[in-house]
Amino acid sequence: MEKIRILIAILGMDQHEVGAIAISRSLRDAGMEVIYAGRFNLPPMILKIAMEEDVHVIGLSCHSWEYLYYVDELLQLLKEKNLRIPIVMGGSVITPRDEKMLKEKGIDAFGASAMTNEIIERIRGIVQGFDN
Amino acid sequence: MSEHYTQSMIPLKSVYNSDDIRNLELDRRLNDPGSFPYTRGIRADLHKRRIWIQRELSGEGGPKKSNEQLRYLIERGQLGIDIIGDGPTNSLIDPDHPMAKNAIGTQGVSLCCLQDFRDLYRDLPIEQLPVSNSLAAAFAIVSLYLVAQERNISPGALRGSLVQAPFYAEDCGYSTHLPFSLRLRLTADSIEFGAREMPKFHSFLEDTYFIREAGLTAVEEMALGFIEIRYVVKELLKRGLDIDSFAPRIAILVDCGMDLFEEIAKIRASRRLFAQMMRDEFNAKDPRSLAVVIASHTSGLSMTAQQPFNNIVRGALQTMALVMAEVQAVEISAFDEAFRIPSKESHLIGLRTQQVIHCESNVSRVVDPLGGSYLIESLTDQMEKRIWGMVLDIESKGDPAELSDKGWFKNFFENAMERYAKDIEDKKLLKVGVNVFQIPDEEDTLLRDVAEEKIEPYRERIAEIREYKERRNQGAIREILQRVYQKARETDENLMYPILEAMEAGATMGEIAGVMRLAYNYPYDPFGMIESPI
Repeated sequence: MEKIRILIAILGMDQHEVGAIAISRSLRDAGMEVIYAGRFNLPPMILKIAMEEDVHVIGLSCHSWEYLYYVDELLQLLKEKNLRIPIVMGGSVITPRDEKMLKEKGIDAFGASAMTNEIIERIRGIVQGFDN
Repeated sequence: MSEHYTQSMIPLKSVYNSDDIRNLELDRRLNDPGSFPYTRGIRADLHKRRIWIQRELSGEGGPKKSNEQLRYLIERGQLGIDIIGDGPTNSLIDPDHPMAKNAIGTQGVSLCCLQDFRDLYRDLPIEQLPVSNSLAAAFAIVSLYLVAQERNISPGALRGSLVQAPFYAEDCGYSTHLPFSLRLRLTADSIEFGAREMPKFHSFLEDTYFIREAGLTAVEEMALGFIEIRYVVKELLKRGLDIDSFAPRIAILVDCGMDLFEEIAKIRASRRLFAQMMRDEFNAKDPRSLAVVIASHTSGLSMTAQQPFNNIVRGALQTMALVMAEVQAVEISAFDEAFRIPSKESHLIGLRTQQVIHCESNVSRVVDPLGGSYLIESLTDQMEKRIWGMVLDIESKGDPAELSDKGWFKNFFENAMERYAKDIEDKKLLKVGVNVFQIPDEEDTLLRDVAEEKIEPYRERIAEIREYKERRNQGAIREILQRVYQKARETDENLMYPILEAMEAGATMGEIAGVMRLAYNYPYDPFGMIESPI
């Protein structure tokens, strides 16, 4: 199977980078190719990088609630471009209630309890599910 | 062989006895509280010792709302004012910047002009309570100075502290998008300004809290902190300042995790190291230059999203350790830390935790109650050696500024983050509710409503600030910003005075920072979205 290419980004003015860096390293160790966009991204920038880098999945690391407002914008942009790229989100600020809300929008989310292996497996599953 | 270690990987024996302290020269290296090398604390006895400053980190929404928050805490017995800005404020962009809209006031208070500081401090007893800031230092100090003057309070009477973070904040905290040379200049300028204009104010607070929160060990935390202190001190000495003119106003804000004896040993070792360094390396003579004030913020990283009520217990244990370590101020990471900035409820619980320890437990009735303990003295000695060993080791790799430029520290932080995450996954670091004694999400309901309540971005600020900017005399603002630009670019004068004039004239922090960026050949707007007014 083709190597999974995942974009990891942080939205808006959220400056907590610990989770994003840790998960990027773990995903690389698991054999994925991580395109690390770091901090200070708005939805149009994420879309641009996702297209240029032709990623299989967009991963957003969240440690502020800004994602609540940016996620709809990103979904809208993907729709306008007719792009079917799955989004996964992770971060301790994502509560079980938020997970449910995101799920309804078609986004897979990991809250504080998620362990790395579980995240890796689910990302693999999501990418395969999208391919089929 | 020992099977147990502290979090910094110091082997722990199951029993300590007099053999462990025999060679430590305790008479000389411990001495009494209030005497060199201040291992046991900087005050001689309870009579001279002030009770520690009990405060909680505050700031939410706009300045008026944060003012109410501060009043609420002061009315309930808070002994200091402690303010943190929101993301845009700490990154020196104004609330009307396109990047700011969803982050205004959600992770701290939104501040951008002198009027905001007037509203923030309105009717607060800033002449009585120490005012501490986790804000861009240069702006926080001139604004406090100006507000005090307007209220006929002598700036010389103000107490409090100012976080100076020229080295690491860019990589592991709030990015100000200023070049290192400018960050260092503003740090030195604001410390010099403080020493001259506000001599009781600790204008150099070394913040090792946020360094540690990247997942570092206690040894690494203090080693990196000392490297920054030493670099800034040398920079001030290069300017021709006398060490005793500013060293009495250096303080350290340390983290406090859950390995309690190691944290206590870390604080005692840091006081000793600081005193020795100031006396022997920097030739300080004033006893106040040798005795460093240590404040602490309990670890946010030790707080868990799961079973948030457990965090109340963690905060209480950490605070008790800090009181026994003789710190001068404590703020407790709130139980809802993993989700949000503190709610009203968690603020009060944090404050009440401190008050229960203070009033009921008797642990603060004796200075350095653990002094002389076989374990504590042995650990203090080992922490001292390891911290200093790491300082010398890192400094031997090159000029810390160049190491920072080359990304050496960034890599150091990233390794620590990965190690920390792995230690939890591998259960090397046990966390109740996370990797041991977990419960299903649906059962984990106690206090979660409070913890998960979300704060809406304060978007009304955008229109308010736009109107504010339009109302000003545009020519005068351009002129004053031009002046800041010119002073920053063409002179090595202290920038606090032009910044002070610009704030007084109504310029905003985003504008002033922007023209300083331009003066150092950086873009006015780090995100390339807005135009420079000059």
